[in-house]
Amino acid sequence: MDYTLDLGAVTRNMGPLMDGLWVTLQLTLAANVIGVIAGFALALLTTSKLALLRWPSMLFVEFFRCTPAIVQIVWFFYCVPMIFNVFWGPVFMGIVALGLNLTAFNAEAYRASIQAVPREHLDAGIALGLSPTQRILNIVLPQALRNSVPVLLTNGIGIFQQSALVAIVGVADLMYQGKTLATATYRPIETFTVVALIYLAISYPVGQFVNWLERRQSHS
Amino acid sequence: MGMTLDFSILLRFTDALAIGLWTTIKLTLLCIVLGTSLGFVIGLLRSSGNAFVRGLLGLYVELFRGTPVLIQLFWIFFCLPLILGVEFSNFVSATIALTLYMGAITSETFRASLRSVGREQMDACVALGLPRAAQIMNVILPQAVLRAVPTLLSNAVSLFKESALVSAVGMADLMFIGQNISNNTARPVEVLTVVAGIYFVIAFPLTRAVTVVEQKLLRKFSA
Repeated sequence: MDYTLDLGAVTRNMGPLMDGLWVTLQLTLAANVIGVIAGFALALLTTSKLALLRWPSMLFVEFFRCTPAIVQIVWFFYCVPMIFNVFWGPVFMGIVALGLNLTAFNAEAYRASIQAVPREHLDAGIALGLSPTQRILNIVLPQALRNSVPVLLTNGIGIFQQSALVAIVGVADLMYQGKTLATATYRPIETFTVVALIYLAISYPVGQFVNWLERRQSHS
Repeated sequence: MGMTLDFSILLRFTDALAIGLWTTIKLTLLCIVLGTSLGFVIGLLRSSGNAFVRGLLGLYVELFRGTPVLIQLFWIFFCLPLILGVEFSNFVSATIALTLYMGAITSETFRASLRSVGREQMDACVALGLPRAAQIMNVILPQAVLRAVPTLLSNAVSLFKESALVSAVGMADLMFIGQNISNNTARPVEVLTVVAGIYFVIAFPLTRAVTVVEQKLLRKFSA
């Protein structure tokens, strides 16, 4: 190949890449806070006995699960300001779009573990005279939360990777800074490789941790 | 809200959207076939093979599972031609990228299902004095493949959705054409909603079908 590698182009520009990484991490963490909390509420709604609560919440979940994330992001950035006449900063828009996506996926994770809580535990709760709220908070929630931790973490790291999509709508995350740098320095190989390795360096350890957690849970 | 929706503008673009959808479907089907075959071979090699091969393939799998698909596409579109000194068409580049991605996730599916075939089955093979090839071909593989089916199907649906990313590197799939129409008509709400709707109409029944297959297989295995 007539291309000599020059990592200097990347190492001299680590500043913008680190700024981008910081935006990526903010997007990831904030979307996860939304997803972990709202996901549980949504899971309760999808398992509700009332069809009026169940149907809209299931539609929400299926919409996010059955359309490409990039379509969701582009739709959100173009259409939300037009429909609702609101103008938020790009990072905040990214957080909400990614957060809603994660909420839908986490709701599925919670739903599976809510349904796995043995029927007898709820019967015992009734026999002990616990109120429905107490049964949810003290019996369902702790077990559902513990059982869904591996999937929540997997989804969380999934949204870390999906967050790269906001680069397409101009949010200055790691991917966006990488793209800009690759174009400005004419060094796509070095830049995209380093950017990919930065993503890998964060998602790989979390993935290994999830594996370890799953092994430990299946033993106990 | 101070806007009126007019979905009828889309009627002028049905041909363009159909061409985009066809590209999406062609690309997805091709990469499902290629990627699943690749994943099958890699899954087998990672479960047996020698340590060096296992390490190398492990690295490949982790690279593609641990990085955004978007950057994989950028890498294959902009870096691979520089390294190899050959130009690829958009379709070829997209096929390489999505096949490699599909191969990585599918190899993990096969590996997990190979491991799920019980230890006692292997013991039974040994007790029956079956040769090694027969152990694998007649006992382990059929069960492993059957167990992998639901996850393979859901990988395929995922790939259909991930394929929309090729729009970001300029390939004229459904998403790309949708975005173009949206920009040219300044009607993002109508156009993008319809595009999302098209993806949904295809992915939703498939997702449902995966669940049905999964439940059928679960019943089969528990019986």
